[in-house]
Amino acid sequence: MENTVSHAMYILEEPVQYICLTFMALMYAIKIYQMMKKPGPPEKAELKGDRYAGALHSLANVLRPWGMESTRNHLYFYAEFVVFHIAVALTIGSTFFIPLVPQLMGPTVSKVIMVFMGLAFLIGLRRIYRRITVPEIRIISSPDDFFAITLMTVFFAVGFGAMWLWIHGSPETGFMWIFFLMTTFFLLYVPFSKISHYVLYPFGRVMFGQIFGGRGVLNRHAK
Amino acid sequence: MADPAEKTALEAKKEKPEKLGTQEDRKWPVKPEFTPEMLAEMEKLLPAKLNRIVQTSLAGCIHCGMCTDSCHYSVSIPEDKTLLPAYKADRFRKWYKYRYDWMAKVFPSFVGAQPLTKELADEMYDKLWGGCTMCRRCTFNCPMGVDYGMLTRAARGIMTQVGRVPKHLQDTIDTHYNYGNNMAVPQDEFIETIEWIEEELQDEDGCADFKIPIDKKGAKYFLTLNPREPKYYPLTIQASAKVLNAAGIDFTISSRYWDLTNYAMFNGIDPDAKLFAQWIFDEMKRLETGYLLSGECGHGYRGLRWELANWLGGVPFKFSSMMELMAELIQQGKLKIDKSVWADKCFTYHDSCNIARSGGVMEEPRIVIRAAVDNFVEMEHNREESFCCGGGGGALAMPEFSERRIAAGKIKADEIRATGANVVLQSCHNCTDQLKEIVEHYHIGAKVMNLAELLAPALVL
Repeated sequence: MENTVSHAMYILEEPVQYICLTFMALMYAIKIYQMMKKPGPPEKAELKGDRYAGALHSLANVLRPWGMESTRNHLYFYAEFVVFHIAVALTIGSTFFIPLVPQLMGPTVSKVIMVFMGLAFLIGLRRIYRRITVPEIRIISSPDDFFAITLMTVFFAVGFGAMWLWIHGSPETGFMWIFFLMTTFFLLYVPFSKISHYVLYPFGRVMFGQIFGGRGVLNRHAK
Repeated sequence: MADPAEKTALEAKKEKPEKLGTQEDRKWPVKPEFTPEMLAEMEKLLPAKLNRIVQTSLAGCIHCGMCTDSCHYSVSIPEDKTLLPAYKADRFRKWYKYRYDWMAKVFPSFVGAQPLTKELADEMYDKLWGGCTMCRRCTFNCPMGVDYGMLTRAARGIMTQVGRVPKHLQDTIDTHYNYGNNMAVPQDEFIETIEWIEEELQDEDGCADFKIPIDKKGAKYFLTLNPREPKYYPLTIQASAKVLNAAGIDFTISSRYWDLTNYAMFNGIDPDAKLFAQWIFDEMKRLETGYLLSGECGHGYRGLRWELANWLGGVPFKFSSMMELMAELIQQGKLKIDKSVWADKCFTYHDSCNIARSGGVMEEPRIVIRAAVDNFVEMEHNREESFCCGGGGGALAMPEFSERRIAAGKIKADEIRATGANVVLQSCHNCTDQLKEIVEHYHIGAKVMNLAELLAPALVL
């Protein structure tokens, strides 16, 4: 595939994205710095397990739905989570691939990405419905929670449309413009929203793993 | 019996009891409600409570609701949606966000941020004292690794600092602070109790030579106790001492600082927690013992095993607990056990949250149990997945929340009933009291016992 686009589209797809990406990285760096300057969890007692193995075990938790009761008992929810986040990665990836390596975005690859975008769109709708209708979830939801999932759901729908036109030989379309404008918005907005949870994720998991790995609670079947 | 030199020392202590605890008595100013001045003070205290775990836990919740099924409060009282872990933590998180979240600086309501008002503080008090036992079951079920236990303790610490702490809980801590143990057991009374227990033990068949040494220098193990034992459950001490003597363990109890509990873990005041730990540490040094041996007590175990070294910056001695030592002695063949003693009973075991999930002791109790009984049935949720009984986090010392505490014990009661057991084993005094209450409240015909009490009658001497 070729990405033959106007100069304006090129500006949006590349320099604007790089500037916004740099901004996002800077915001994340500040967030991580602010967290890391706080005192970490001490563990001066003689260990019963392995803190490093615990941290790895905890990080890999996402791949072990049987590891937590909350995912073990809700495997459908977990499957949705996996598909949704793969779709996020692929959709973000496509915003790089389209301008930088358009030849990679052939019909097969594009269709695979579209399948995930389509599924993630449906999952997004279900998650919005769940947030509105399940009392347990509604009571803990803030406007940011609704906005974030709605934004992502729309993003998948727009991405799906843009990709559909892309594989039919139209690299510069209204859908593609909206897709990249949304990407730009995401890069600027996400550091301030709940969507940035993925930056905190490894820290939370590693600290959990260090504490409970060191205490011999995690990984004990492996020892 | 003690040798003459020891006896003289003990008699001297009886004649002139030492002032234990701190030199000047303290009465923490407990306030009935939040005032604007207290809220202003809380604002000043917040930054110091935000260590890396607490901050990540406050910032990291994505409101996915995966914790909903993990909390004994929300499972046992499903009609009250405000008992969900995420909701309860949000009472603190809203305030944190108002102070620190970037988006909240511009659009506080959008991210659910709220300034600290009396209403929010009241909700925080209700949910984080009376609706959370810091059992960390939700933490283990959180995809993000949010540490609700640490988060709740930080919030409690701030509230305690300004005087908004459940009175009875704070009284327990003040008593520990003022008297050296949380039930104000005087030194002479304690010594007399131990001597009486020793005599009772020696009256048992095959135990004529058994001793409960007090202040024996150079003993290998320094046995610590829960004050409920000398005060209300002396047979527990007798059972522990019988097991230790039967295995030939060289141990001692201090006449001064023997209380392994540390309720400052529950009110979040680190200097107090450190002070209580320091007393035990100093006794270890005074008596030149090699192993700190925790009795069967959940938070006491965790406090000594895992937190003491953090509070004091490391320790030069080893650590064990009755649960671990008994398992070790069984595996080494140092205890002979007759299972027929318990042949007509069916047993289950409740994992204390602080011993199992936060402490890493999960298989050792089962080694002890399987050595002593044939009929043992696990509860549906066990080991690190065990539900809190409802008595953790200082809940038993908060009578204002008793009704909710008993209601929250329903899931545990249901699981006990499902095993068909008529004896519930556990290794924690708070669990003992809560389990006894819920067994009675939910009409389950089961007795509650700890592991030493299981082992002691079955010993072949």
